[in-house]
Amino acid sequence: MVAFAIHKELPMKTEQHTDTAEGYPAEITEEMEFTPAYRWQHWIRAVAILILTFTGFYIAYPFVAPAVSSEPNNFLYALMRSWHIIFGFVMIGVVILKVYLTLVGRAYKHERASLGDTLKPKVWIAQIKYYLFMGKHPHLKGVYNPLQTMAYAGLYVTFFALIVTGLVLYVHVYHEGLGALLYEPMRFFEVLMGGMANVRQIHHIAMWVVIIVVVIHIYMAIFNAVFGKNGSMDAIFSGMKWHKKH
Amino acid sequence: MEKTTYDSLHQAFRQRVEGLKKLPPMEGRDKSIEETIEEAGFSRRDFMKWVSAVTAMLALPATFSPLMAEAVKVADRLPIIWLHMAECTGCTESLLRSANPSIDSLIFDYISLEYQETIMSAAGWQAEENLEHAIERYKGRYILMVEGGIPSGEMESFLTIGGHGKSGRAIAEETSENAAAIFAIGTCSAFGGVQAAAPNPTGAVALSEVTDKTVINVPGCPPSEKNIVGTLLHYLLYGTLPALDAYNRPKWAYRLRIHDLCERRGHFDAGEFVEKFGDNAAKDGFCLYKVGCKGPYTFNNCAKQKFNQGTSWPVQTGFGCIGCSEPNFWDTMGTVNEPLRDRLYNTVFGGLGADATADKIGVGILAAVGVGVAAHAAVAAIKPPKV
Ligand code: HEM
Ligand code: SF4
Repeated sequence: MVAFAIHKELPMKTEQHTDTAEGYPAEITEEMEFTPAYRWQHWIRAVAILILTFTGFYIAYPFVAPAVSSEPNNFLYALMRSWHIIFGFVMIGVVILKVYLTLVGRAYKHERASLGDTLKPKVWIAQIKYYLFMGKHPHLKGVYNPLQTMAYAGLYVTFFALIVTGLVLYVHVYHEGLGALLYEPMRFFEVLMGGMANVRQIHHIAMWVVIIVVVIHIYMAIFNAVFGKNGSMDAIFSGMKWHKKH
Repeated sequence: MEKTTYDSLHQAFRQRVEGLKKLPPMEGRDKSIEETIEEAGFSRRDFMKWVSAVTAMLALPATFSPLMAEAVKVADRLPIIWLHMAECTGCTESLLRSANPSIDSLIFDYISLEYQETIMSAAGWQAEENLEHAIERYKGRYILMVEGGIPSGEMESFLTIGGHGKSGRAIAEETSENAAAIFAIGTCSAFGGVQAAAPNPTGAVALSEVTDKTVINVPGCPPSEKNIVGTLLHYLLYGTLPALDAYNRPKWAYRLRIHDLCERRGHFDAGEFVEKFGDNAAKDGFCLYKVGCKGPYTFNNCAKQKFNQGTSWPVQTGFGCIGCSEPNFWDTMGTVNEPLRDRLYNTVFGGLGADATADKIGVGILAAVGVGVAAHAAVAAIKPPKV
């Protein structure tokens, strides 16, 4: 019947299927690559980034305007800003959640293990060679390869830049409640960055960093899905990744 | 200050005014402040109207008006030394050169005669002597107001004043030493201003960089007469420094952004913008954001206090805010008349990337990434990676 063979590099939960039970060839194992929390925050973040980028470009330069009329209008700019701020806070929520999980989550020790791989120059070189079609994919201890780990670390630094600059802008739009609470600390960052104009520009430039990283990220994900043959693209939807037994 | 009731505040002010009354008035004035204002053609009614406006501006209730009137009359107990550093004298002009002398300018004229290079009659050696004299006589009692950035470091000698050939920085340091309160009037002395803009050829710095004492910044290019006189009257009444924001600007004047107080803000939120100067939207008084208004990045009360005795202010005339009361606004705000999005970055690689905006650079990098991705995918199709 179902035999539990603990896979060498099993992240956490392992379900091995045999063809008798579920119709998988017996030499393939399925393992949980991404937990549900991981997948949810990933997709919420993706949607948030999409909306924040669109509304962000609009805030920077309102490219469409309602036709001038004497009728009550729909306050388009205020609307865009509202959605921007709403998803800004969604973004803050999931980024904090993810950072927390990555640092302490039990199921995330393989993310933390990726850090070990980044300390090995050999893995770096092998990984670069792989992407340049010059060698085999290196064997990894963690879930991310070194290039990936560095890109994600950089991405999170950028998220925090966006969050801090976003909150500085926020406290000057809404002065009460949370705005009042965050006012003094955010003014500290405002001075640090040399005034509101710079804050807006840093926010804007950080957005571009995110856009560029996202484009590369999507390409790499497709590349690995096509050539990696272990279902890492599936994993971000279903959580499961395929492994050939060896 | 949180718990201070108006009663105790009133009492404190009264004591302060009584105390000031005991000090000797400045020498060499043949008329009192009251007489001077009256002679310029202002009735008592005009004066009281002005006093209530100033009282309201400092966020005090109307019951404080009579006390404010008394305080103004003893303003000549506070001698003022006004220094000109590297600047255009625009701040002095803002205050003194209105079509009809305002009460603000009359009072100012009256009390600042101690040493003010633009309006004093002394010149040359005599002027220098007057300054030394004033510092000596009013030691620890005078208010120092400084207009202009201060060339420093290797470039200090770019500002050298008078027969003794003293540098502006040396004079500013000396005068700050013995001042009761120090106000940096205008963006140049508050933040360095136009001469401190990149590449800052004269090494100009803010007044706060040359003294350890607290400097109250009253930036603006120029600041309105109300903000200058208000800061002074605030000190006169309270005898202490006002509540200051993150850039040491008095909160009563610089707490909110231009954008927060702007009469066109409704159009901003509605998404109704002037697309170019002179279009129908401009005639309708729509928001100037897309033609470069920097109001969202600028803290000041222009929309409330306005200029030229409350006649108007830039946005009212249909021209966007240029952000003049913010630090380094020449460098950070981008081009006048163009939105901040179009701020230019100096990315010259032998002329290759001259005058790029953040968006242009972003699109450029994105295009490069696109080409790289396409090339990588093409190779992968022909020669799949080793698994
Ligand atoms: C991926 C994340 C984000 C992107 C791509 C993004 C993008 C942008 C852009 C392009 C602007 C216009 C800046 C300019 O004038 O050039 C903007 C403005 C703004 N953003 Fe974000 N942003 C993000 C996250 C956040 C977060 C986390 C907050 C926090 C609440 C936030 C709050 C704001 C606010 C308050 C403004 C200014 C609105 C105004 O002044 O009317 N943003 N954002
Ligand atoms: S004109 Fe300037 S300050 Fe006024 S609402 Fe528009 S952007 Fe803001």
